[in-house]
This record gives sequence, C-alpha cells and structure tokens, in this order.
Amino acid sequence: MDKPVVIYEPFRAGLPPMREYFASLWSRRAFISEFSRSGLRQQNYGSIFGQLWLILNPLLLSAVYFLLIYVIGGSSDATRFGHLTATLFLFYLIANSLTGGVKAITSGERLILNTSFPRIMLPISATVIALFKFLPTVVVFSVIHLLIGLPFSWQMLWAVPILFIAVVMALGMSILISCINVYFRDISSILPYLTRSLLYLSPILYEASNISESIKKFEILNPLFYLLDSWSRVVVHAEAPTMNGLIHASLWALGLLFIGAYFFLSRERDFAVRL
Amino acid sequence: MISLSDFNHEHAQHGIAVSVRDLGLTYTTSIEKKPTLKARFKSLGRGKRHTRIVPALTDVNIDVHYGAVLGIIGSNGAGKSTLMRVISGIIPPSQGRVEVYGSVSTLLALGVGFNPSMTGRDNVYLGGLAAGMSREEIDNHFDAIADFSELGEAIDAPMRTYSSGMFARLAFSVAAVVEPDILIIDEALSTGDAKFKEKSLNRIKELRSADRALILVSHALATIEDICNEVIWLNKGKLMMRGNPPEVINAYREFVNARKSASSDEDV
Repeated sequence: MDKPVVIYEPFRAGLPPMREYFASLWSRRAFISEFSRSGLRQQNYGSIFGQLWLILNPLLLSAVYFLLIYVIGGSSDATRFGHLTATLFLFYLIANSLTGGVKAITSGERLILNTSFPRIMLPISATVIALFKFLPTVVVFSVIHLLIGLPFSWQMLWAVPILFIAVVMALGMSILISCINVYFRDISSILPYLTRSLLYLSPILYEASNISESIKKFEILNPLFYLLDSWSRVVVHAEAPTMNGLIHASLWALGLLFIGAYFFLSRERDFAVRL
Repeated sequence: MISLSDFNHEHAQHGIAVSVRDLGLTYTTSIEKKPTLKARFKSLGRGKRHTRIVPALTDVNIDVHYGAVLGIIGSNGAGKSTLMRVISGIIPPSQGRVEVYGSVSTLLALGVGFNPSMTGRDNVYLGGLAAGMSREEIDNHFDAIADFSELGEAIDAPMRTYSSGMFARLAFSVAAVVEPDILIIDEALSTGDAKFKEKSLNRIKELRSADRALILVSHALATIEDICNEVIWLNKGKLMMRGNPPEVINAYREFVNARKSASSDEDV
C-alpha cells in the first residue's frame, strides 16, 4: 500500500515509456470511438441527409467524371472511368485524414489543457473519421464496378491489404501534420495546395502506365503513387499488384507512421504549454 | 495513467496523497501569439529569438495528506492552475518531482470534451470518457448524473440549445459523480444559479472524507475558509505561506490591500 502510483519528473527529450503509453491509449479506445462519432456528428453526419451525403458526395464526384469522360470526351472507356473513381475515392481517404489531422491538436486545446490523456488519440480519431467517410464510397464503387462491367477475379482480395497500407499511411500523415501544425500554425493554410499537388502528381487523372519512364523515376518520392497504382490494378483491372508497388507503398506507409509517431510522442508533453 | 477501478480505496488515514518536491516549471512559449512558418522564414538569418522562457513555478514544496481539504489562493497569474496541471500530469515539471498516490480526477474546466451538437445524454458519455471513466461506470452513474443536473427531459436535447447555466450544471454533475482518491477542483464552484451553487458546494462537502484528498483552487475566500482545513498561498509562482485557513487568508488579504493602497498612492 501507499507506494508511489504516478511520478512526474522533468522529461528528457525522447519517447515516453512506451508500454504505459500504449496501455493507456488502449484503455481509452472507447473515448476514441465516441470522440470520432461526435466529430462525425458535428459535421452533420448524424442526420439522415448527412449520412446520405456520404453516398451522394462520391456519386456526384463520379458523375462529374462520367460527364467528362463519356459525354464531353466522347469515349466509352469503362476502365478509365473505373480507374478515376476508384483511385479518387482512396485518395480522399488520405486527404480527409490530412485535413482532419492538421487541426486535431490545435483545436483540441481545451481538452489538452484540462485533461491528461495520450494526445495521439486526437489525430487517430481524425483518421477514424476519414475511414468512416471512405466506407460508403466502397459501396458506391462496387455498384459502378458492376454497372460498367469491369472484370472480377480472386486477385481483387488484394484490396484488403492495400486498404490496410492506405490506412497506415493516412494515420502516419495525420499524426505528423497535427504535430507540425502546433509549431507552425500556417501549415493548415498550405495544406489545400499540398493535397491538390498530390492529387495531380498521383495516378488518378491518368494511369501509371501512361507516363514516361523518366518522370516515373521521380514518382518514387510520391508516397501515394504506387499505392494508388496498386489499388487501381486490383479493384479496376482485377489483377495482382506488382511486388515493387506493394513494397514502395508499405515502406512509405510505415516510414510516415514511425516518423510521425516519433515526432509526436517525443513532443506531445510540450503541447500543453505551446497551445 | 490508471483507471479508477484499479484502486483499492483503503488508504491509511493521513497517509500522503500528493507530494510535491522542489517543483520548478519554466515554459518555453513562442513570442508571437501563433507561431508560423512565414514568420520563421521572414526572420531567417536575423538571429531573432522565437521563443521566450517564462518562469511559472519556483521551488514549490507541498504535501497533501488523505483526509485533507487543501485550498489554494493567490492573485491571477500566481501559478495556481499551472500547479494543478502539473499535479494532474498535464504539464510535466521542469524541475523537482511530483508523486501522486492514488487515482486523480480533475475538474479544471467545466464541460471539457463536450460537443454542443450532441445531446446532453451523449455528452455525459463523451465527457465521462474524456475524464477517464469507463463506459460501464458511466452506465452505472448515469441516473445519478441526470438527477443531479436537474435537466429533466432537456437531457435528450442537443447541448447547443442549453443555456450557459444548464451547460455548467451538466458539466459539474458529470465531474461530481466520480469518486476518485484525489479530486482537484479549479474554480468550478461558480456554476449555475445560487441554488445550484449551494448544491455543488454541498456535493464537495460530501466528498470530504478520511480516505480522500481534495485540492480546491478558488478566489472565493469565504468558501475556502468554510470547507478547507489547510490553505496555501501562491504568489508569482512561489509558495508564500501555508497553514490554517483564517491565518493564511488574513495574510493574503493584507498583502492584497497593501498592494492596492501602494498603487493608489502612486502618481499617475
């Protein structure tokens, strides 16, 4: 009895005790889910029309591209339309995670100043919200897939590990950017340009096989390039992804998660006085 | 961090609850209100400093025992809230050591974690989970929380429709139902109307017991004198005095009055 339960001492730069940290994070999982739910609710996704919007929004997006490719472009290239919608939907998972994550810490000021909890919960819940917004697009894409007669095969099961890589990447980006935004508040204003550039640099409006080898060399620097390429191969072409593509995407995803988490965890004790 | 349920609530009477040793805290904060990349670029190569160091607490030593109700007084900016944040693990100290023997519940600000677009009922869960309770604990306490808040059917209305008094009442009720070993309350008594204020004060009095330590930060000196059995006075981050409530409060009053009259004598 009466042995010290919690001791607070000056912290050295570096990571907090990881076992305790993750145990405490795990014990807060109900809060993460409730907090994400309330975040969705705040964006009106609690109402019927709000939920309908989750389906309508991707539908409208794909309608725009339908107009562009089939009506204006006069082409009847089902694969191109399928590629565009599939990759765009996955791209929005990452983009939404970034836009939600960037203000996760700075807007959680009251919570951070008055409660003690693992701060990494906040960017995690931004990714959870992005994932919830992504799930209805899977349904929309499946319907499109059927309607435009894209091929099916067992190789499409690769979609599961690729989606997992995408979530890890989205999480890493969300954690990293939420931390950077504490120190440089204008990052949130630069973010729309960053995501727009990522959109054009990634194989969404075009297919990876269409660009020249000399440009492709630089795409190794784009974390999304091979992720989206693999996604398109699997869900649109019903082919297996390339091993190179999978390795590239996984390395970027893990790299971003580790760097983001390291940055975040070694600085989060400083957040309360920085806000 | 420890969940409330891991604890056995048997503490030796007058056993130590919180021990603060040689606590020092200095903040490094940015000079500008909001640090930006733009400002950093503009001052590149000019050797301008972007951060400043603010001393918030110096050499503070406190022991809080189980059974004690400790009041903390001091003028604005004395470091009271900062000290509470250090004890509850929100801000790490820069010097010294803080030992906390038991589960802590903090009531530093009301309605932390509440989301106005959700109903009062949903916010009880959200706020409770934010305060570290488990879903089962909230389930068990839900009726008590709803009763205490006196919201009636309004508990199922979105919180954005609440008056500020209703908001505060629900927030206090969520916090008051937790029965931690150590409860830290910062200026949370001034909620709602006179009747609710009295009710919350009574709740705090109920929470006083031999196996619990209460730390109370307030500017309401009469309240402090009424419920605390020990008071410390902080000024500019330093511990000025600690002792029995009337003594410390009188010394503090004299100090404040002396400062007031000194400044009124000055030529403007």
